Amino acid sequence: MAPSPSPGPSPAPSPGASSGTLGAPPRFFAASRARIFYLVVLALLLLLPLVSESAAVEAVMPVGLTGSALLHVFVLIFFFAFMSQAWNIIGGFAGQLSIGHAAFFGIGAYVSTICYVHLGLSPWIGMLVAAAVTSVFGAGLGLVSFHYGLKGPFFALVTVAFAEITRLVLLHWEFVGAANGILLPFEPDPTFWQFQFKGKEPYYYIALVMMLCSIALVAWIARSRFGYYLHAIRQDEDAAEAVGVPTKRCKIQAIALSAALAGMGGTFYAQYTQYIVPDDMVVGRVSVEILLGAVIGGAGTVMGPIIGAFILIPVGEATRVIFEGGGTGVSLSTLISSDLGFGEKFVAYLDYLASGGGGGLAVILYGVLLMAVVLGMPGGVLPWLSGLRQRLRRRADQAGG
Amino acid sequence: MSLFEASGVTKRFGGLTAVNGVDFRVETGEIVGLIGPNGAGKTTFFNLISGFLKPDEGDVVFEGASIVGQKPSDICKRGMTRTFQIVKPFAEMTVTDNVLVGAFNHHRDAGSARKRARAVIELVGLGPQADKLGGELTVGGRKRVELAKALATEPKLMLLDEVMAGLTPSEVAGMIEVLGRVREAGVTMVIVEHVMQVIMNLSDRIYVLHHGEAIAEGRPQEILNNPEVTKAYLGDSFLADQEAADADKAAWRESQAARDEGDGSGAPRP
Repeated sequence: MAPSPSPGPSPAPSPGASSGTLGAPPRFFAASRARIFYLVVLALLLLLPLVSESAAVEAVMPVGLTGSALLHVFVLIFFFAFMSQAWNIIGGFAGQLSIGHAAFFGIGAYVSTICYVHLGLSPWIGMLVAAAVTSVFGAGLGLVSFHYGLKGPFFALVTVAFAEITRLVLLHWEFVGAANGILLPFEPDPTFWQFQFKGKEPYYYIALVMMLCSIALVAWIARSRFGYYLHAIRQDEDAAEAVGVPTKRCKIQAIALSAALAGMGGTFYAQYTQYIVPDDMVVGRVSVEILLGAVIGGAGTVMGPIIGAFILIPVGEATRVIFEGGGTGVSLSTLISSDLGFGEKFVAYLDYLASGGGGGLAVILYGVLLMAVVLGMPGGVLPWLSGLRQRLRRRADQAGG
Repeated sequence: MSLFEASGVTKRFGGLTAVNGVDFRVETGEIVGLIGPNGAGKTTFFNLISGFLKPDEGDVVFEGASIVGQKPSDICKRGMTRTFQIVKPFAEMTVTDNVLVGAFNHHRDAGSARKRARAVIELVGLGPQADKLGGELTVGGRKRVELAKALATEPKLMLLDEVMAGLTPSEVAGMIEVLGRVREAGVTMVIVEHVMQVIMNLSDRIYVLHHGEAIAEGRPQEILNNPEVTKAYLGDSFLADQEAADADKAAWRESQAARDEGDGSGAPRP
C-alpha cells in the first residue's frame, strides 16, 4: 500500500499559501493577497465618481476627455465585465463556445423596453421579465443543440445562426420599430423606477453592482456541485457522464442562466443609451466583444472575465483616442465626450472607422494586442499569472533548498 | 436475483456484428473477468451495458430493472459506474477535484462530497498526488484517478476497462491490492483485462468473448483448460500444430518403448 499521509489534520497552511489541499477552498480564489487587491480596487471604484470631476483627475486624462468620459469608460468596463461573466457560465465553465450572445443581449433590451413603452412597466421589473424571456430562449437553443449532441464548432455555428435570425426578425418587425429601433421616451424628471438618470453616476453604480453580483453568483457556482459539473463537462463529456454528471441537463441550465444574465445586461444597455436598434446590438461584433473579455482574462475562472474587461475596454478606448483624427475631421475624443448615447456613439464610431478614422491603426494595434495575449497566454491572463506565481515559488524553493 | 444480468445483447455496426447475443450475469460480491482477443468486442460490450451505446437487441437489467436506453449518468445514479480503457482524467483539475466530481453523485453538499473524495483518494493510494493536476500524472496515476473517480460515485457495481494496461509490474501489484480493498468495501466488479495473471488471480468467474460472442464461461481454472479458449487466443493452426506435435511425441515414445523392449534389459538409457 502506498504510504498515506496521516488522517489527522494536515499541517496548518501558512497564510497566503496556495490552496488546493483537501478541505481547502477551491483554486479560484488563489491567495488572500489577491483578495486584498480586489478589495482595494473595489474601494477605489466606489470612490471614483466622487473625484471624477476634480482637477487632479482631469489633469491626468488624455487631452479632450473629461471626468464624465472617464465614468463612461468605466460603465463600459463594468457592463462588458458583466456580459463577459454571463458568457463565462456557458462558454467558460461549460466550455460550450457561444458566438451568439448578442442575441440574448438584444432580446433582453427589447423585452424590457417594450414592456416599458407599451405597458408602462418599470424597467427594473422589465429586467426580470427580460431575464425570464431570454432564459427560455437560451434553454430552447440549448435543448435543440444539445439534444442532437452538437459540440464545439457546430454549437458555435448554431449560436451564430440564432443571433443572425434574431437580428433579422428585429430588423423587419414593425411592432418593435424594425430598422429604426426604439427610442425610449425621454423623462425630463426621471424617477428611480423609470431607470433613467440625469448624470452618469447612477449608471456607474448600477453597472458596478451588476458586475459585483455576477462575480458573486459565479463564485458561488464555482464552489458548488453545478460548477464542478460544468468544469468536468468542459474537459471530457463522456468521462463526466460516466461519473454521474447529467451533461445535457447541466449544459441547458448553464445556457439558460447565461442567457438570463445577458438579457439583464440588455436592459441596462437600453436604459443607459435610451436607444436600441438591431444593427447596433445583435451583431457579431458585440457577440465577440462579450466573449473576448472572458477569453483574454481566463475563461472558466471567476475573475477572468472581469480582468479581461478591465484590460480590453481601456486598451480599446486608448488606442482609439491615441490614434484619433484620420480623414474624417471628427475627433474621436470629442465623439466620446459628446452627448450622444452609447448606441449613437457606436454608429458614429463605425462611420469614423469606415471613413478611415485613425488610419485603421487603432484597430490594427488592438488586434495585435489580442494576438499577443492569445499566443502568449493561451489560457488567459489569470491562469497565466497563477502559473507564473507557481514557477516563481518553485524557483524560490529550489534556491532555498 | 442477480445484481446484473444482460441477455441476448447484440450490436451491429453496418454489416459487422460487434456483439452477438451475449448473455452475461453478475452476482453481488463477485469479481467477474471478461477476456478475449483484441477486437473481440469487450469494450463495445462495456459501452452497451453502461449506456454509452444502445443495444440493437437484448436486455440489460440492473437490480431487477431494465436500464436499456438510459443515460450513463442515470445508470451511475442507480449504482453502476464504469472506467475507460483510454483514461479520461479531467486534465485541468487536481486529483482531488477529479474525484470530487464523482463524489458529488451522491453528495449534493460540497463539504460531505469532499470528505468522500478524501476517503477514496486514500483508499486507492493517491494521497501524495492529491494536489497535482490530472494532466500531470503518470499512466499509473491516471489509472488510479480513473478508478477513484468511479469509486467516488459509490457504485454497487463497477465496470473496469483495462485498469492495468500500461502499468509496470510493481504498479500492477499495487493495483491488485487496491482492487482487493475495493472488494472488501463491498463493491462488485467486472474487469476487462489483458494481463492474464491479474484476471486469473482476481476473478471468481470469467467470460470469454470472441468475435462478439461469449464462447466460454466458468472458473479461472476451467477457462484455462478450455480448448475453445486456447483456440480463440492462439488460433486453429496452433492447435493443429500442437496436435501434430503431440502425435509425433507419442509415436516417438512408442518407438522408444518398442526398442527398449527389444533390448530386453528394460533399464533406462543413460
